[in-house]
Amino acid sequence: MADLHQNKRNLITYILTLSIVTLFALWLRTLDIESSWQRAGMINFSLGFVMLASYMSAQILRIVRLPLISGYIIVGILAGPYVSSFLTNDMITGFGFINDIALSFIALTAGGALHLQMLKKRRKVIILHILFLTVVVFGFVFLFFVFMGNHFSLTRNLTSIQIIAFAVLIGVVAVARSPSSAIAIISESRASGPFTETVLGVTVAMDVLIIILFTIALTTARIIVGGSEMMDTQVFVAISTELVISFFLGASLGKGIAFYIDHIRHDLPLFLLFLAFGVSKLSLWLNVSMENHFDVYLHLKPLLICMSAGFTVQNFSKMGSYFMDSLDRISLPVYVLFFSLAGASLNFEALYVCWFLALCLAAIRVIGIFCATWLAGTISKEPPHYNRSAWMAYLTQAGVAIGLAQMAEREFPGIGVYLTTVILALIFVNQVVGPVTFKAVLNLVGEAKIR
Amino acid sequence: MKIIFALLIIVLLAFSGYHLTFRGFKLPLFAREFYLKGTEFLFLGILLGPHFLNLLDTETLKGLESVGALLLGWIGLLFGFQFEIARLRRFPLDFFKAAILESFLTFVVVFLSVYSILPLISEIPEAMNIVLSLTLSAAAACTAQTGLVLLTPDFTARHRKTINILRYISSIDGLSALLIFAIVFFFHRPTTQGFYWFGNMMMETVFTLIICVGLVFLYIVFIASHRDEKEMALVVIAMAVLTSGIASLLHFSPLVANFFVGFCLVNFCRRKERLFKIFVGIEKPVYLLILVFLGASWTLESTWLIILAALYCLCRFVGKLIGGFMVTRLNPELSSYQPHLGFGLLDQGGLPLAILFDFQQGVPCDIAAGVISLVLLAVIYNEFLGPYLLVRLLKETK
Repeated sequence: MADLHQNKRNLITYILTLSIVTLFALWLRTLDIESSWQRAGMINFSLGFVMLASYMSAQILRIVRLPLISGYIIVGILAGPYVSSFLTNDMITGFGFINDIALSFIALTAGGALHLQMLKKRRKVIILHILFLTVVVFGFVFLFFVFMGNHFSLTRNLTSIQIIAFAVLIGVVAVARSPSSAIAIISESRASGPFTETVLGVTVAMDVLIIILFTIALTTARIIVGGSEMMDTQVFVAISTELVISFFLGASLGKGIAFYIDHIRHDLPLFLLFLAFGVSKLSLWLNVSMENHFDVYLHLKPLLICMSAGFTVQNFSKMGSYFMDSLDRISLPVYVLFFSLAGASLNFEALYVCWFLALCLAAIRVIGIFCATWLAGTISKEPPHYNRSAWMAYLTQAGVAIGLAQMAEREFPGIGVYLTTVILALIFVNQVVGPVTFKAVLNLVGEAKIR
Repeated sequence: MKIIFALLIIVLLAFSGYHLTFRGFKLPLFAREFYLKGTEFLFLGILLGPHFLNLLDTETLKGLESVGALLLGWIGLLFGFQFEIARLRRFPLDFFKAAILESFLTFVVVFLSVYSILPLISEIPEAMNIVLSLTLSAAAACTAQTGLVLLTPDFTARHRKTINILRYISSIDGLSALLIFAIVFFFHRPTTQGFYWFGNMMMETVFTLIICVGLVFLYIVFIASHRDEKEMALVVIAMAVLTSGIASLLHFSPLVANFFVGFCLVNFCRRKERLFKIFVGIEKPVYLLILVFLGASWTLESTWLIILAALYCLCRFVGKLIGGFMVTRLNPELSSYQPHLGFGLLDQGGLPLAILFDFQQGVPCDIAAGVISLVLLAVIYNEFLGPYLLVRLLKETK
C-alpha cells in the first residue's frame, strides 16, 4: 500500500516536472539563434533536455513495469527530426562520438557479462540456438520475400533476380540482433541465471557471426545479380584474419585493464569510458592508415576488441567483479544517451513508405524466431516454459542491422535503397517492441531481480 | 574524424596527466613548481594546436564548442560550491571583507590601466575596449592557492596565521572577479547599443537569474527523493549540460550561470554532499582540458606580447600590493599582518583561465587570440614570480 502511494506520488512528480521542462524547452526553441555560441548552446541544451526527459519518461514507464530503454527510445523518437526536431539530423551526426563510446562501452559490458564456466555448461544449448536461429529465421524471411516480394508496392518493380538477391540480404539482416539492448535490459533487471546466460551468449556470438554471414550473403547476391562469377575465398581469409587479430588485441587489452585495476584502480569508470572511446577511434584510424600508407586492407572490429577485453577481464583475471561494478556505475548516462539518440535516428519516413511490408516481415521474423528457439530448446531438453517464451528475448534489432543495410546499399545501388528503407522500418518495429518483450520474458522465467 | 581523434587524444592525455600532476607524483624540486600546477597542459595544447600537430585546428576547436561550454559549466558549479555561507561564517567577517576589497582594488588598478593603454596599441571600438578591460581585470583579480599548497608542512606550521588569511582570500576573491566578468556579456550584444544598456543589463540579469532559480528548483526536485549513484551522476551531468546550454542560448556565461546554480545548491539543498562528490570527481580532468583548449588557441603573433604581458603582470602586481596594503591598514583587526600581504597573492590558478576560456567562446573578436596569449604569458610569469615572493613574505613575517 505504501509502495502504491509512493509510486503514485513519483508518477505525479515526474509528469509535472516533465511537462514544465518540456514547455520551457519549447519556449527556448522560439529564441533567435544569432551566433555560433548560441548554436553550441542550443546543442548543449537539447542534449541536456533529452537526457532529463528520457530519464523521467523511463521512470514513468518503470512504474508501469515497462523497460527503461523503451522510455529512452520513445523520448528519442519524440525529440528527433521527424517529430519535434529538438535533435536535428546534424546534431545526431555530430553526436556520433557518443554512439561510438556507448557501443564500445556496451561491448565491454557484454564481454564481462559472459562467464566461461556457465558458457561451457550451456555450450550445447547456445550452439543449437545459434544454428536454428540462423537457418530458420533466414529461411522464413527469404522464402516469404521470394514468394511475396512482388506484392508490395515498394518492391513491385524489382525483377525476379533482384527479388532473390534482396531476399538473401534481408534474410541475413533479419538474423542480426542487438546486443546493446540485451545488455541494457539485463543490467536494468539485474537478471542472472541459465536463461539469461544463454540469451547473452547467443546474442553476442551472433553479433560476430553476422559479419561472416553477411559477407557470404553479399557475395551470393553479387553472383545472383551477375556481378561476379565465383566465391572469392580471399574475402573469407581476410575476415578471419581480422577477427583473430581483433580477438587477440582484445585479450591483450583485457590483460591491460586487469593490470590497471590491480595496480592503479583510480577513477576506473572514467578510464574505461575513455578506453572504450579510444579503442573505437584508434581502430578506425588504424584501418584507414593501413589502407592509405601500406595498402593493407585490415578492418579491425572495435566491438569485438572490447567484447574480448571484457571477457578476458571477467574470466582470466581476479578483477571481474570490480570491473563490472565500475562499468555499472557509469552505465546509466551511457544508456540514456545511446538509446535516446538511437530513437532519434529511427526513420519515420521509411516506416511511412513501407509500414505494411515491415509489419509482415516483423511477423514472419517472430514466427521464425519462435520456431527456432522452440526447436533448439526442445532438442537440448530445456524446461518447456523456457522454450515457449524464449522467442521474446531475440526480437530487438539496432545498429548492426543498419550498418549491414548501408553496406548493401553501397554494393547494390539498384536494390540497396529499397533494402535500407525496409530494414529501417523493420528496426523501428523491433526496437520499439523488442525491449518490452525481453523484459517480460526475464520476469516470466523468474531470472529478473528487479521487476 | 579529426574532431573525434583530437578529443580522444586530449582527453586521454589530460586524464593520465592529472594522475601525475595531482596524485603526489614525486618530481625533482626544480620541476615541481611548474609541473604540479598543471601548466604543462598549456604546452600540450600548443603542441596539439594549429602551430604544431594541427590536431586542434580552428575548425576543430569550433566543433568542440559545446564540450567547452560543458567544461565551463562544471567549473562554475564547483566554484559556486565553495560559497557555503555556513562554512564561510566560521571565519571572521574581516577576512571576507579583506578578500573582496583586495580583489576589487586589483580590478580597479588593472581595469584603469588596460582601459587607457588598449586604445593606444589597437584601434578597437569603445564597447570592445570595455569588454576587454573587464575581462583582463577580472582575470587579474583572481588568486589561486597553488603556491600555498606547495609549501612544506614545516613552513606551513610556522606561519599558520598568515597562511590562513592568504588561503581564505585566494579561495574567495574569485567571487568579485566572476561578478565583474558577468558584466562583459551585457556589453557584447546588440541590445546594448545606445544609452539604455544599463536598463537592459538589469533586466537581462534578473531574467537570467530567474531562469537559474528555476534550474535550482529542478535540481532540488531531482535530488529530493533517494536516488542511487548512477541516477545522481546522470542528473548532474544532464543539468550541467542543460544550464550551460541555456546560458549560451541567452548570450550569457555558462561559467557564471553555473556558479549561481552551484551557490544556491550548496546553501539551499540538503543533499549537497552527494552532489559535491560527483562534481569534484572529475574536477581535475575538466580543469586540465581547459588548459589544453587554451593552449591550442595560443598564438604569439608579436614579440610585443611578451612585453605587454609583463606590463599586465606589473599592473596586477601593483593592484595586489595596493589591495594587500589597504586591507591590512584600513582594518585594525588585520593590522598585525604584513603590509605587503599582496606578495602572497600572485598565483593566478584555474579560475582566470576559465574566465578567459569563457571569453574566447562567448565573445569572439579579432583581438581575442592576442588577449589569450597575453593572459597565458602572465599566468606563466606569475607561476615563477608567485612562489618566490610568497616565501619572502612568510620569511619576513614574525
